[in-house]
Parts: sequence; C-alpha cells; structure tokens
Amino acid sequence: MTGFLWELPTRRDGRRADPTLWRRGGFDHLHQVVDAAELSGVDGVVATYDPDGEESWIVAGGALRHTRHCRVVVEFTPSFGTPVYAAKMSLTLQRLGADRLDWLLKVDTDPEDDRRRGDRVGGAARYERAAEFLTVARGVWSGRGAAPGGFDGGEFDHHGRYFDVVAGGFDEAADGHAFPVVHLSGTSPEAIALSAAHGDVHLFSASTPDLTADVRALAAAAAQHGRTVRTGLVLPVIAREDEHEAWARVLRLWREIDPSATERELRSRARDGVLFHGFDRIGHRARAGLVGSYDQVARRLGDYTRAGIDTVVLSGHPAIEEIHRAGEHLLHLADPAGRTLRGARA
Amino acid sequence: MTIDVYWRIGMSGDHASLRTPKVRNRGDWGGLGPGNIAPAVRGGQPDGYAYIDHAAAVAKASEAAGFLGGLLPSFPGTEDPWALSAALARETSTYRFMVAFQPGFLHPLQAARMSASLQRATGGRLVYNIISGGGGPAQLWWGDKVDHDDRYARTSEFLDVLKGVWRGEPHDVDGRFFTTRGAALPDHLTGEPFPEIYFSGSSAAAVNAAGLHADYYLSWLEPFGDLARKFDGVREHAAKLGRTPKFAVRIDVLARHTEEAAWAEIEKGWRHVDPAVATRQARGDSVGAARIKGWVPDTITGYRDVEVQPNVWAGFSLLRGGPAFGLVGSYEQVAQRLDELLDLGVDAFILAGNPHLEEAYRVGEEVLPLLGRSRFTQPRAVREPAPVA
Repeated sequence: MTGFLWELPTRRDGRRADPTLWRRGGFDHLHQVVDAAELSGVDGVVATYDPDGEESWIVAGGALRHTRHCRVVVEFTPSFGTPVYAAKMSLTLQRLGADRLDWLLKVDTDPEDDRRRGDRVGGAARYERAAEFLTVARGVWSGRGAAPGGFDGGEFDHHGRYFDVVAGGFDEAADGHAFPVVHLSGTSPEAIALSAAHGDVHLFSASTPDLTADVRALAAAAAQHGRTVRTGLVLPVIAREDEHEAWARVLRLWREIDPSATERELRSRARDGVLFHGFDRIGHRARAGLVGSYDQVARRLGDYTRAGIDTVVLSGHPAIEEIHRAGEHLLHLADPAGRTLRGARA
Repeated sequence: MTIDVYWRIGMSGDHASLRTPKVRNRGDWGGLGPGNIAPAVRGGQPDGYAYIDHAAAVAKASEAAGFLGGLLPSFPGTEDPWALSAALARETSTYRFMVAFQPGFLHPLQAARMSASLQRATGGRLVYNIISGGGGPAQLWWGDKVDHDDRYARTSEFLDVLKGVWRGEPHDVDGRFFTTRGAALPDHLTGEPFPEIYFSGSSAAAVNAAGLHADYYLSWLEPFGDLARKFDGVREHAAKLGRTPKFAVRIDVLARHTEEAAWAEIEKGWRHVDPAVATRQARGDSVGAARIKGWVPDTITGYRDVEVQPNVWAGFSLLRGGPAFGLVGSYEQVAQRLDELLDLGVDAFILAGNPHLEEAYRVGEEVLPLLGRSRFTQPRAVREPAPVA
C-alpha cells in the first residue's frame, strides 16, 4: 500500500503561478488545508521547512491535535537546536497525537539560509552532523534513567563533534512511544550513506534520471548496515478529468510568466507525456511532477509503486481544492487495495 | 497598574488530589490503574484519549475561572511547552501560554520563528518564562555544557538576537554564542507583539543578564522575609542598570472554606509521606529544586513542623513534584497572604494547585474575588492575528 502525503502550504497559497500573489495564509487557512487532507483520505501532511513560511513545529503541533488519521511530518534542519530538544518536543507530539509524528530532516540546506543562521557547517560535514543528530535523538529516546517529573540522571552518554549529552535518556517517559519515522532526501553519496545508516524513508525527486538504479543502490547500501530503507518520491501533481484539461491548467499558469507560451512547448517539457519538468516555475518547491488525466497520473503512480516507491509526497495549489480532487478522483485509482470497502459494508 | 494572575498547567500528568500523592492517575504516567483519566480504560483497553485532552480541559478551566493564562513548565521527563502550546493554540481564546524554555536549546532565529508562528496561531498570546538553567547534572542531561555564569551571558545574547530579528530588519551578530548574517523574520511573520518575559533567576549574573530584557523577575515562593530581601537585592542591582523591576511569584495554593478543612487535606496527603524522606529534604540532601534546609527543623515529625510562618507551608514537594513552599489556609487567609505579597511589591502571580482543573475553579471563584478582581488584568483576546496582506 502506498502512503500519500501532502505538502502543507506553510507560506501561503493561491491559484496563481507567482507565490507572491497568493492570498490565503495564516493558521485559519492552514487548518482548512489540514482538515481537507484528513477528510479526503490523505495519509499524512508535511509541515515544510520554509524560512519564509510558518514555523514547522508549530504547524505540526496544531495539525496533530486536530486530526485523527493523518500522519504529520515535521521538516526541520539539524542546526535548529539540539537533538535532545528535538526529541523532547517530539515525545510530547507523539503522546498527544497517538504516535503519528514523522521527521523530515533537511540536511542539504540553502547556503543563504545557512549564512543567516550563522551555520558554518557546510558540504559533506552537514551529513556527518545529521548522523550525529539522529544518533543522539534516538539515544536519549530509548535511554534509561530519567524519572518522569523528576530528575535522577540517565544512562545515555554521547561525546561527539557537534553534540554532547551526559547521563541523558527519557527512560519510561518514552515507553510505548515510537521514535518518529525519519525521512531523508538527496542524491549525493553522502545523502545515500546517511539514509542507509540512519533513515527510515528516503525521498527521491521525480527528476531523478534513473530512479530504479538509485532505489537499488540505496537498498544495497542499507543492506550493508543490516537495514532496509523505504523509498518515497516528491511529486507535484496536476490531475484533471481529461488530459487536455490538465495541460490547459499548466498553460494558464505558465502564461503568467511567459504570455506567449504554447501547450506544445509545455508538453515538450514532458518527454514521456506525463512527467513534466517545470513545476518549480509555477509555484512548487520541486521541479518535476505529474500532469495528466486521473487515469494517466494513477497509472504512473502505479509504475512507481512497482519500482519500489511506497511513499509519495504530493503537492498542488491551491492545496484545499487539489487535495479534494486527489481524494475524490485519484488516490483510489492509484491505490485501490487500501481504499475499497471490504466486508459486510461492501 | 493591574496584577497578572496565571494558573500553572501540569506537564507530567496530575493527581486526583494531594490525598493521593503517589498516584498520578491523570495522563499516562501512572500505569493506567483504576480510576485513570485521559486515557481511561474502557472494555479493558485504553480509550484513545491522552493527557493533552485533560490539559485542554485545564486550560479552558483556567480561562473560565478568570486567569490570564498558564505557566507551562519544562523539566526532563515532562511534556514540552512549545509542543503543548502549538497543540492547544486553537482551543482557547484568551488563555496566554507562558512557555518555559532555556535559550541554549534552540537557535535564536528558530525560537523567533516558532514564537512568531505561535503568536499568529494564538492571536498574540505567547509569554516567555526564560530559564537559564540551575546547572548540575540536569544541564548535561539536556546536552548543555555551558557554565552557570556563561549561561546568563548566553541568555542575554540569545534575547538580543531574538529581539533583533523580530522586527524583520536584517541583523548581523558576531557574538560569543551566536553568529548571524542578515537574519530576520520573513515579512509575513513580522508585526506580532513581542512576548512578555518572565525571567527566572535572581543571582547577580541573572539580574545582569535580565538587565534590558526581563519584564518580570520570577521567583518561587519563599518565607516572606527572604522574598523581600531577594526583591531588595534585585531592585538595588537593577537600579544600577537604570531599571525598575517588576516581580512575579510562583505559588502553590491549598485553600478551603476553613483553615481546619485545608489542613485536614494536608493531613490526608501527609499519611503517604515517609518521615525519613522529609528529614532528608529538611537537611538539604535531596536532589532537585526543593530547597528547604534552614527554614525547617532538622528532624520532621509532622506536617505542622514545616509551616514556617502562618499559612506558609514547606511540604508541597513531599506531596508532588515541584517547589516546596505554598500557602495553606482558609480562603480569607490565603487571600490575606497574597495581599501581603502585593504589599511587598509583587506584580504578578503564577498560582497552582492539585488537581489543576478543579482547583483552578476553586481559587478563581473563592480566593481571587477576596483580593478584589478589579485589581487583576482581565482576560481578553490580546489581538487578532495580523491580517494577510
């Protein structure tokens, strides 16, 4: 069964290609999006890390409190604070949300954003720090010794390059609560190595040239650690009743940035007819995504599933409308097994 | 000027009352024994509710009982106040979330973004309780190696950066602890009110650090003479910095319609107290923050031994986690003591009692009116979230 997540528009949202023209914002709006995802059968929402958007932990806390089924993925960078604090906040979120919190650790951050935060750890060292971050966070989560409500010291010690803990550990405070499922991403050798050793789900971009090869390489690297890592795909989507309607939508958006654009030119950015390279120009974070009829898009999602992809991070703007579309027309085509009534009520 | 009155929220479950100090039956800290609430056991299984559902009830009760908001403390082994505030933001309308946190654990730009988003989610109801950390093993548990006096220097620098980026103008800092280049809140997170700061710590290093930042110096309750001396010390030190400090006191309250009824409650809880543990605490050998050495006899035989002055009782830490001192007495007596604290120059109270839910109503209904509600800052929506441009 494929899990479908949806990227929350933490900056703003709207129906235009240019995000500066988006009118919907704030927490009333974000909760409308979360409600849409919860009611439409989406499996989870991603509270994205966006330096210009609402802060992801605050978004995630509200989303968990106001949903029952959706998983909530909080995206953040390892430089945001200490791994102990990330684990501590996460434990509260696991308690209040019945263990529905996941992490998406953003390691390959924007250099300008790093500069603002005074983060001087660059290049491959960022992956080394991320590995240490996850080691410490998992270590304190399962470490024994700190009595709930009081303090007697614990058994987890860590003396690393970036982080230190002495006599740490959540002890029974964390008992029965799962550590968040860790999502990672990237295609560099360091990124693959990090996921192989520490990740639970590795998210690939849909513009990855040879996805099957990369999925295999990751599996092989993980096997060396005696682990398996699930694979996912980040995938903007414009799906409509028929193909023409979908491309008309793309054209309408594209003409905001290039009034002379033609449907033919745009379709040339999708050599196989469905995987369109240009979403980043029309308000999305990712470059490549799917355009087509519900059937076309669902078939492609099925291809990805057969290639070993079990998590798809969808996005669409405006999110409320696109989530309803996906829930009503797309997800049950892409993943009928989990979305067809069984038993007496069928 | 009016007095701000807050009601703490429990961050690691709660007891049905102080009569059952060892049974934490609200939340899932106590093993889901008989009578557990949030989760309750139905048909042999936990019913799916969690402590957050009870915490939401406490926040709503505090709001209804006339409190301005609540302190959400933070210790190893308790819930996290940022996460809890984010979850409860939309279930209350006037309740202010006083989030306890230590500046070492988050990058200041991250803290600024979390704060601004929380202001937007709550309509400007975030308040800070800044803790620089008492030191000792707990600090290393958190992964913080910075020394005591340096922690105050870090707090000061942290708040400089936080305030600097808040306005949204690019901000450069080359500090001892933090570096930023052109750091600023993004446009649509600016324009929110900056949270009021309740500053914990009253050492010279603390007062220096608080210098330009603290709105309130926050202290736990101590015998009134000691508290007065502490305030005088802070005033004197602050005067050198050209500041007139405001004071807040965190107080546990056990108030009943008569003094006898109040002590009868204490007596019922005291039955569970091991005299040896009480004596260890009296001699200052215990771990933690419950310092009562020097204020109580060396050997404790009964609960009245730790009534250090009328209605000021140093035994709360023996009945539940947290500070030792609190007020025990009739509604009138407790109100009188609070009045005396106001006369010492207190500007804000953070009151607490177990069980937090029912005691919020009791104290709000029976004690606060005796002080004169006109003296209190009335709960109201702070302000609407910034309109979307």
